[in-house]
This record gives sequence, structure tokens and C-alpha cells, in this order.
Amino acid sequence: MTETTTQDTDRSETAGASSDSQTRSQPGAGTESTPETWTDYEFEGEPKMAVSGLDVYYGDDQALDDISIEIPEKSVTALIGPSGCGKSTFLRCLNRMNDRIRGANVDGTVTFEGKNIYQEALDLVELRKRVGMVFQAPNPFPKSIRDNVAYGPRKHGKVRTDFLAKLTGRDDSEREDEIVERSLKQAALWDEVKDRLDDNALGLSGGQQQRLCIARCLAVDPEVILMDEPASALDPIATAKIEDLIEDLAEDYTVVIVTHNMQQAARISDQTAVFLTGGELVEYGDTDQVFEDPQSQRVEDYITGKFG
Amino acid sequence: MTRETYQQSLDSLRDDVLEMGSLVVERLEVGLESVVNEDQSLAREVIEGDADVNETYLTLENQCVDLFALQQPVASDLRFVTASFKIITDLERVGDLAANLAQYALTAKRKFTPEVAIEDIGHNARALLTRSLEAYETEDVDACREIAASDDDVDALCQRASETVTRDLIEREADSGDPWAVEQLLDDVSRVLLTIRDLERIADHAVNIAARTLYMAENDPALIY
Repeated sequence: MTETTTQDTDRSETAGASSDSQTRSQPGAGTESTPETWTDYEFEGEPKMAVSGLDVYYGDDQALDDISIEIPEKSVTALIGPSGCGKSTFLRCLNRMNDRIRGANVDGTVTFEGKNIYQEALDLVELRKRVGMVFQAPNPFPKSIRDNVAYGPRKHGKVRTDFLAKLTGRDDSEREDEIVERSLKQAALWDEVKDRLDDNALGLSGGQQQRLCIARCLAVDPEVILMDEPASALDPIATAKIEDLIEDLAEDYTVVIVTHNMQQAARISDQTAVFLTGGELVEYGDTDQVFEDPQSQRVEDYITGKFG
Repeated sequence: MTRETYQQSLDSLRDDVLEMGSLVVERLEVGLESVVNEDQSLAREVIEGDADVNETYLTLENQCVDLFALQQPVASDLRFVTASFKIITDLERVGDLAANLAQYALTAKRKFTPEVAIEDIGHNARALLTRSLEAYETEDVDACREIAASDDDVDALCQRASETVTRDLIEREADSGDPWAVEQLLDDVSRVLLTIRDLERIADHAVNIAARTLYMAENDPALIY
């Protein structure tokens, strides 16, 4: 695509451009000026996470190209873009899930409350407790509903209910019950499962399983919740419940969600980041602005379905 | 190009809005002619024809609602459908005002007294309406701003005309002792004042169309209010 080449050249020429230069491209102008970074995006509140100069390669393939972005706390940030644009890769960088992929090479910094999460000697278990993740397909453990939710707190040593604990009188069963109830209530699942907490989680419907996974994530008191297309495998009613839940969660948590459903991004997010082919972050701004008056012609073409 | 059916629906909405615009401009011309020439049969034609305008309005309103509900337009498409949705309301109102003009022509028992530039004002208002529809068709943002500025000229014309009518009323009342003649005069005066006001309103609707067009083309709400 020659057009992309032109735009890339143009982009490097506007390195360091201020937000004032993020003007709407004129039709017929031919080229488009895209700011080098989107860290000039102004939002209320503090950034919870900040990404700077992030490049990701899978072998020789570049998945993300020099991404810089700040994610505001206690809000919903949606990541949208066509398949293969790098949005899921970006999400997985936020709690170092890409470290597990062989041949993946991550450059740049990702800070969580000012601390670079890619520094050596970082406690990954602690990071993933504070930056939790919910996946596309619900993936409950083949255990009881209670065990699923209590798994994290038990694993992190927050509650002890084992034989030894019972024997030594340090049993936290009551505390565990509290955590299970609170997490299931936060995930809007409590009323549906409170009478069958010991049933196998695999007996729940898809939508219930996904909310259970969200409850499991909430049980360890995360601060950031990453969601990779959490509703794409669900029917419209289950989707609506997850969307309501996400909006509620944003009052206490920082939610970052990857979605293929642009209307979903428009409905539930406070800010939207648009990635386009080549792992480029093309636009980042308030969701209403992105969907009503995108600054980039390429974003305009993508969201109105005029690409190609 | 993807979403071809959707693109076609957008194109046909634009065409249909412009067609409704032509219909309304024609009603306005005939309404104006009926007033200026005191032509009662033309007047009746405009009044009866208003039902067509209303029907067209409802059809277009449905087209917009369908696009919102079924296609969820965003970005410039969203602004286009939103602007069109508002513009058809303005056009429908102009249709009503054209029918008002015709109604005044029907009830007029004698020639306008005093002579004021009704025809001039009418032509100015019609010209603004035509220009606003052209601006919508071609997304001409400069024209939108010019239309808003030109409306001040129409307002000034209307202001002067109203003052002339009022002054004339005061003068005539002073030298007329006949109560029946005074009543006739009041009828005439209120009819002329309403005619002037309605023409001014038509120009305002033209400005509304320009304002929505500017918003549609550049996301610039400057002219809305």
C-alpha cells in the first residue's frame, strides 16, 4: 500500500507534534498527519498505566510499532482495530503475558503507577494479581463455583482453609465466604448462584461462566482489569449484562478492553484507542470524539466501513 | 468499498432530502406568488399541497430512524444522518409557512396597505433557502457562513417593513373616525405583519439548514444558535 508509506513518512515529519496539530485531514489533501505519540491526550484524573515507545516483535514480524499512551485510572479504555492490528498484543503487554510467548521481543517501557513492569526482578505473580485478565472464552476451572472464586485468594495466601489451618485454629473460612460473596456480587452473579456455590462451575451458562471468571479476577483485589473480547462468545442478553458490569466496575477499577464490536466500544468506553494494520496506534481520544469526529481519515474510513 | 447497501441508503437519503427541498422551494414560490398577485386558486393549491410535504417528511424521518437503528452510523456518516434528520424538520416547517402565506392570500379582502417590499423579502428568503440546500448538497462550508451573514440583511428588511406598516397604522388611525374602517385596517395590518414575520422565519430555517450543514461537514456547531 503506497498510501501507508506516504503516511508513515508524514508521521515521522510531525514527530513531537503537539495536540494542536491533530487537525482533521482535509479531503483530497492526499496525506494525513498522525501525531507521533498520543501521550498529549488530556483526561481527567491520574494515569494508572503509561506506555512509552513500545515495540513488540514476534520473530521478525513487528506486532506493535512505537506505541506511547497513558491509561486513565477508574475508567474504561477500549482498544479497537482490524484483526492483526496488535490490539490484543498491546493488552497482553500490560501484564506481561507476552513474556510467555516464545520468540516475542518487547521493547520500550510500560509503567504501572510509575514503576516499569518490564524491569528485572519484578514479581510477576504480584503484577498479575494487581493487573488481572479476563479472556475471550470463559475458562472456569472444572471445580465448584466457590473454589473458582477462592482460587486466587488461597493461592496468594490471603485465606487459609486447609486441614493444617483448621487444626491450628487459623481457619479463614468465614473470610473466604466474605470474599466469595463480595466478588460474586460485584460480578452480578451472586443472586443466580448463591444457593449452589458447591456446584461445578462448568454447569453454568456461558454468560454466567464469564461473570464467574470476572468474579475470580476480582477476588484478588486487582486494580486494573484487562479484558480480551469478553463478550464475543456470548448472546446479546449475556453481553448486555457484561457491558453493565464493565460500566459498574469502572467506578473502582481501571478497565482496558479489546473488542471487535465497535458499537460495544462506543457504548461502554470512556476513551478509545484505534490500532490499524502494522501495529500502529492511529488515534486515541474520548470515545464520543473518536466516533463522532475522528481526527484521522484512516480511522474515519475504518469505523464507517469504507476501508478497502 | 464495503457495506454497499448502507452506502446506497446514505446516498439515497441525500437525494431524497434534496428532492424534498425542491418540493418545498416550489411551494414557497407559489405561496409567494399567491400573496403578491392575490391569486386565490394558487393559494388553495399550496394549502392542499402541504399534505404532500408532510408525507415526504414522515417518509424521510423513517429513513433516518432506520439508518440509526439498523446501520448505527458513526463519524461523518453519523453527522450526515443527524444533520439530515434536523434539516427535514426545517423543510417541513418552511412548507407550513408557505401554506400560511397562501392562507393570508385567501383571507385578504383587498390589496396590501401600505405597499411594502413583500416580494423583495420573499425573494431574498427563497434565495437563502435555495443556497442552503446547495450548500448541503455540495458540503460548501463557506456558503454556510455566508448564508448566516445574509440572514441579517433579511432581518433588516423585515424590521424596516414592519416599522413602515406600524407607522402607517398610527397615521391612518389618527385621521379616521370610522370604527368599521379601523377594524378593516387592523385586519390588514396584522396580516401584513404576519406575512413579514413568516418570511423572516423562512430565512431563519435556511440558516438552520446551513448551520446543520456546517456541523455535518466540519463538526463545527458554530452556527447552531
